[in-house]
Amino acid sequence: MSEIKKIKNLKEFSTSADRFEGANLLCPGCAHSIIVREVLNATNDDLILSASTGCLEVCTAVYPYTSWDASWIHIGFENGSTAVAGAESMYNALKTKGRLKQPDRNPKFVSFAGDGASYDIGFQWISGCMERGHNIMHVVLDNEVYANTGGQRSSSTPIGSSATTSPSGSHSYGEKKNKKDMMSIMAAHHIPYVAQVAPNKWKDMVKKIQKGFAVDGPVFINAVSPCTTEWKFDPKDTMYLTDLSTDSLVFPLYEIIDGKELNITYRPKNVVPVEEYLAAQGRFKHLFKDQYKHMIKEWQDRVDSNWAYLQRREEAKV
Amino acid sequence: MANKGWDEFEIGAMLRTFDGSIDDIAGTAQEDRSYSESSSYRASVADWRLEKPVFNKDYCIDCQFCWIYCPDVSIIARDKKMIGVDMDHCKGCGICVEVCPTNPKSLLMFTEQADEESEIASWPSKDEEK
Repeated sequence: MSEIKKIKNLKEFSTSADRFEGANLLCPGCAHSIIVREVLNATNDDLILSASTGCLEVCTAVYPYTSWDASWIHIGFENGSTAVAGAESMYNALKTKGRLKQPDRNPKFVSFAGDGASYDIGFQWISGCMERGHNIMHVVLDNEVYANTGGQRSSSTPIGSSATTSPSGSHSYGEKKNKKDMMSIMAAHHIPYVAQVAPNKWKDMVKKIQKGFAVDGPVFINAVSPCTTEWKFDPKDTMYLTDLSTDSLVFPLYEIIDGKELNITYRPKNVVPVEEYLAAQGRFKHLFKDQYKHMIKEWQDRVDSNWAYLQRREEAKV
Repeated sequence: MANKGWDEFEIGAMLRTFDGSIDDIAGTAQEDRSYSESSSYRASVADWRLEKPVFNKDYCIDCQFCWIYCPDVSIIARDKKMIGVDMDHCKGCGICVEVCPTNPKSLLMFTEQADEESEIASWPSKDEEK
């Protein structure tokens, strides 16, 4: 069972039997469940899952219903990653003692968390899991805000974005600090695999997830998840927004192997100006007033310099 | 399942998705699984919808973009063919219509009250400008 599932094209992929159910309470057009489905369908093996507190957790496990067809646990805001790491340790211990009933099933351990539960609240726990070298995958559903509790800023919220705790107005352009570079922090743990993915590039995503399942050791995945409620766009435009985020290079898709080798996995043919990405979202609406217009150029410069930095790293293989 | 008061909940709860056991979930299609009362597969969010997607199979090329990008597992694809929309779980977000690449689109949004057969009969024709 442990061989890698063959997915050549979307038609072949669509024969997968979903292990995530509808009638969850996520907003219409939420990208969380698209990401979750792509991760779960990337393998045929058994899954042991956890979710930290966040939109995904509160919407998929509303008593008396569960939307998960695999073993799933939720404990607290911060410890989704350690819960699944504990399950992995127990599994290994039982395997060593020969007490597993079906030792050849080879389950995969995945923890899902939002950006709040990963970048801020669960940061120490994740760092611990990475350092201890558990064979788990941590998937961040990065919507750049605490969407579940009403749109407070997190350390993933980008500069200029209007959040309820950093609102824009006549004296402020919203969030003052730039986004935390979680990818580099996780790569600095020298774990086997760190990758940034986007649900619109499903093939790239499934490839990375399968790579992550195949390596022995902790894996960190950062997935961009446009939030229709807090980014303020129409639910039907979720995939359009994801396209904009990858094609404007605000969310470049790349992977870092062993913390040393960086590969860019997607180069857009036509790079979209960042202005277009900002204009599509209500949370950046104020940046188009005369007062804050300089921010758009700053955005473009920052995205460009980050892209140049990634390309330099890829070329130098560091 | 009986409704419970706020002070009657268990402190920790375990829900079983299936009645009985399934050995190979990933190899069993949804209609062949024996979902228990506590799986949200048995629930419905159909009343969330203001508009519903209508599927016209005449124009469908089975690209499966709608299947992969559906957030609510509501596109039913079996044997590499798109066979319909699961109206119990569809929330009417409209992503499937946006990502549909055919011309004219094989999925379109109509109001919840619209009659599917008459909408399919008066389906828009090919848009030459695209």
